[in-house]
Amino acid sequence: MVQAGSMGLPFISVRGLLGSDILKHRPDLRVAENPFNPGEEVVIAQPIRPDVAVFHALKADCWGNAVTPGLRDDLMMARAAKWVIVTTEEVSDRELTPRDAFDQTFLPAIDVDGVVHLPSGAHPASCGNRYSIDDAHLKEYLEASKEERIFKSYLDKYVHSASD
Amino acid sequence: MTEQAQNYNLEELMAIIISREVRDFEMIGVGAVSPIPAAGSILAEQLHASHAQIMILGSNEKKYYPFPGGSSELHFLAQRGDLDLFFLSGLQIDRKGNINLHVIGDYEAPRMRLPGAYGSAMLYYMAHRVILFRTEHTTRTFIEKVDFITAPGATPANVHREGGPTLVVTPKAILAWDQLSQEWILESVHPGSSLEDVKANTGFPLKVAASLKMTPFPSDQELFTLRTIVRDKLKSIYPEFAQKKIRSAL
Repeated sequence: MVQAGSMGLPFISVRGLLGSDILKHRPDLRVAENPFNPGEEVVIAQPIRPDVAVFHALKADCWGNAVTPGLRDDLMMARAAKWVIVTTEEVSDRELTPRDAFDQTFLPAIDVDGVVHLPSGAHPASCGNRYSIDDAHLKEYLEASKEERIFKSYLDKYVHSASD
Repeated sequence: MTEQAQNYNLEELMAIIISREVRDFEMIGVGAVSPIPAAGSILAEQLHASHAQIMILGSNEKKYYPFPGGSSELHFLAQRGDLDLFFLSGLQIDRKGNINLHVIGDYEAPRMRLPGAYGSAMLYYMAHRVILFRTEHTTRTFIEKVDFITAPGATPANVHREGGPTLVVTPKAILAWDQLSQEWILESVHPGSSLEDVKANTGFPLKVAASLKMTPFPSDQELFTLRTIVRDKLKSIYPEFAQKKIRSAL
């Protein structure tokens, strides 16, 4: 689990899940005896440590402090990843602090490795109150993703030929 | 009976039935893609459960999303055993209370692959009560055995479980979980359906409660509150559902 990765734990235990077919298909989830309650079975999960995590921020500064939209588990995910890149709508010319986040999520510079200025970087998904989901584009994406050939032309149109 | 009370759609009926099951002072979690339980919980809050703490994943409102650290906080709240009520669904729900949110058909070569749900397998254990909701009551949904057990009804020996299945709410009926026999029992049949109709559309032999009753019609107060205050509060979380499935009473 990402939580275990973020905390640097060798594994984490989780209640529930016993008897679910999920356990048959997930080698990173195992059943073990609770050493503090002999006889009790619990699930233990391997930590997840992504090589890279990318977050899109509303604003970030050149030290790596960033404000991402909403109240989410971004900090946990950033700490689990070995390398963290923040793309941002806006680059702040002064140092950002947790106060700048208000009811958004604050990523401190200590957990961020690189910042890229990338306005509209969350498109076609949404970015807080800045812009909402582009439904028409997502439908186009869903259609295109059904066939390799059409998806290639989608990539050509929106990714490979994209300019700044 | 007034004309208003007779005219309601299945989403409104199911939300109202769910609201009647919500108790005051409860800690209630509503997961992703669950507009009917969200509507039902907020309706209960308005009518008889004003002290309930409702937590709706996807909400931007502090009141319904009291998690500064993100939705993992709901996970740990449930792990601590503090979650009273949660809602789950299943593309398939079987006789033994197993639910399937993973695949239809063989796992390696499925006819349909669903998003899956790790959280369900945890919350089905850790919420004190789980109410299942399904907008379809057919023999392809209610089957003898699910193709894939996402979350099990039965608990293996030596495993801690806080709660589990309590009810299933469908467009036709309410099935209650019988802890003793570990099976569903038909508890209540909605207006417009019948015992025969429910049995014919359930893919396993269904026990019938001795106290089998007819689900009370939505009251004028329930419908009016749902179509005014609740509809309004739902707009920010489930705009399409609020617009299309809940009629406006204004």
